[in-house]
Amino acid sequence: MNPELLIDETTAGALDAAWLLRAIAPCGEYGRRADAASAPDARAIVADASTFDAATLDALQDALRRAPDIAPALARAGVGDALDDAAFLELLRFCDAWLRARATLARHDRALGSDAAAAACISLVSLLGPGRAGTYGFYLDERFAPELGAARARTQRAQAEFEAARGRSTQGIARALGREEIGELEFILMRADAPSPLPEGLRVVREAPTYLLCECELDDGALAALTRRDEADAALAQAERVVRETLTARVRERMAGLDEATAAFGALDAHVGKVRFAQTYACVAAEEAEAGMSFEEARYLPLLDELAGEGRAYVPISLELPGVAILTGPNMGGKSIALRTCGFLALCVALGLPVPAKRARVERFERISWLGIAPESESGGLLSSFAREVVRLREILERPHERTIVLVDEFARTTTPQEGRALLIAMVERLRERDATALIATHLAGIAQASGTTHYAIRGLRGVPERPTDGDLSHALAALADAMDYTLAEVTADTPPQADALALARLLGLDDALVKAAYAALG
Amino acid sequence: MNVGAELLDLALRDGARGIAIVGTGKNVGKTVTTRALLEALRGTCVGLTSIGRDGEAVDIGDALAKPRLRLEPGTIVATARAVLPISPASEILETSDLMTAAGPLLYARVRAAAHYELLGAPTASGVRASLEQMRALGAETTLLDGAVDRVAALAGGDDAIVVATGAATAATVEDAIEEARALVARLMLPKVDEREPALRLDGALTATMVADLAARGEKRQVVVCDPTQIVLSGKAFDGAMRRLTLRCERPLRVVAVTAASIGRDRYFEPATFARAVALATGLPTFDIYAGARAA
Repeated sequence: MNPELLIDETTAGALDAAWLLRAIAPCGEYGRRADAASAPDARAIVADASTFDAATLDALQDALRRAPDIAPALARAGVGDALDDAAFLELLRFCDAWLRARATLARHDRALGSDAAAAACISLVSLLGPGRAGTYGFYLDERFAPELGAARARTQRAQAEFEAARGRSTQGIARALGREEIGELEFILMRADAPSPLPEGLRVVREAPTYLLCECELDDGALAALTRRDEADAALAQAERVVRETLTARVRERMAGLDEATAAFGALDAHVGKVRFAQTYACVAAEEAEAGMSFEEARYLPLLDELAGEGRAYVPISLELPGVAILTGPNMGGKSIALRTCGFLALCVALGLPVPAKRARVERFERISWLGIAPESESGGLLSSFAREVVRLREILERPHERTIVLVDEFARTTTPQEGRALLIAMVERLRERDATALIATHLAGIAQASGTTHYAIRGLRGVPERPTDGDLSHALAALADAMDYTLAEVTADTPPQADALALARLLGLDDALVKAAYAALG
Repeated sequence: MNVGAELLDLALRDGARGIAIVGTGKNVGKTVTTRALLEALRGTCVGLTSIGRDGEAVDIGDALAKPRLRLEPGTIVATARAVLPISPASEILETSDLMTAAGPLLYARVRAAAHYELLGAPTASGVRASLEQMRALGAETTLLDGAVDRVAALAGGDDAIVVATGAATAATVEDAIEEARALVARLMLPKVDEREPALRLDGALTATMVADLAARGEKRQVVVCDPTQIVLSGKAFDGAMRRLTLRCERPLRVVAVTAASIGRDRYFEPATFARAVALATGLPTFDIYAGARAA
């Protein structure tokens, strides 16, 4: 499933698809790479959400997070480059994390990767183990090759000999200058302190009016010691290079197994992110519907999360949407959230994810489209709101229309009610011709009746809530939420019309005289 | 005298765990100052990094030889993986996602004395993270080597600061003294007086903002988060201080100045230069090459 074909930017924004992608995101680089190519299985995700407890998921995600990305190291080893010590540390840590995750899964009788992958990780830990240093570091230790120890001892001796020879070489100069020792070979000598003539072996690099920048010249003994030290350094570098090349060759021998191990780790990471999502939000695997969608107690998770952060409750909704339906209801009654819930569930199913609902049957849609008031930032800045909506509708209708769901949020609300109503009726007809699934929220009356479409309404206010005496808007909104019945119910000929807008206006602080006049005008 | 020991005493006497060496420019003796501090810290576990590049064998700008950092076993470095010496091998402590100009940063412990090049994280958050990580890995004291144009990376830290100045970056001795004075004055911007009215700025204070605030006769304290948020040259900063009451929430602690009288193209009389810098900055000032404190 290509997410760009499934939803466009406007729809992704309206449904907060970014929230969903964050909620299921893998925690490591392997998972991110695997996620793009994976085809999730909602049933397997839900099954694992009940199999694994939170502590197991924590342990797996900790291992996944700690595993360094070894793809660059494997690539370098693959083309014949010798690996550096940082790469050996990364390989060692990867294998440690992989084996830890494998042990965690084994406690639930689950496997990670193939036997070849496990063998590669186990043998690499054994190969690189002698390099473990400190708490969790890596050092090219002498245990890899005894020659390293000998070469290091030689460089230390050679360095000590050079320093002694240099000391002897500069001792005379230090004595002549009245100093205990010469630290750096280049130093400043104030003219006032400079003996005349300068001691043998001291060269003036630069003369200033008040001082001389001097450099000690080494005598033959010190120069010979310097040469021996450089040779010892070169021999050590060669010994270390040989060990690294040998270790790299052994890594290369395990390349196929390590590739399998990284692939298995990626698949696990991608899967565990979704299992965590399913467990956190009590998701279920939706049954596949031939057409349309129906669900019980579904939740639009981005809003649920936001409300939870404010300590407020979320009211799930249930709906049967076999084809095209009209949705009406009061302002702030949850029409837009009902649309978003449909879109969110459709998106989850299209991506192979379980859905946040008690039960659900959902068509596997190939395109989800949102049609609402377009943000100002969208193209067509010179167009009116209505014009932008029309352009958007045209774009939606021009797309391929197999397995499509269209979610319409108060289309044509900014034009004349008569023409808006006519456009909506025509749009319903077009969507039905295309066998599309659609939920169309509107305040315009009579659309369902005129188009012979199923009509749902938000039940609305259970009474007229008391206006808070303190005039605080947040208190008014809380009173509104308490009084609102967010249930979606099918509207029949007997259903009385709703008139919650005036009660809402009063609740939000509009003065009583104006509200009374409005009621009077309403008759 | 032992300049490193004197600097260390000044820096750590108030409980700081780290020292930042900030140069007024290139080749003003930062590396020599760092070496002096390392010598004074010998026998303890030191963590070392830079804001940008330091310790390279030759100057990237003019290809001339530079003082190099020869580090003793036990020293922890945070540097770009690409510039860690291949031999002698170091103990690799941690790889990281922090990026330097030459790729990812890593943490390593020196096992055998060798010359190291430091190429650290360029951002304030990266610098802070790498200093914290070195402490977590066992560094008792951290040293941070950085230039004035990267001073923003000091933001949020509690390191003591040693300013390095020298003949290399100024045409005249007067200019060098002025550079040092202006930098010290900026870094030592006083703390806001909470009893007085204040205009708090979210981000940096620029020359344009100074002009706007002065034009509308701003009398309140103009407060930045810390002195690194002042994006003004020496003269512009002086002008701003005359026209506005500039203050900060988190002052930095500058404890000393080192003066390098030898530049690539010019030199100043060492004792006179160091004395003038001490007078202009009001801080203990050391001639880092001569190993002397300004009288």
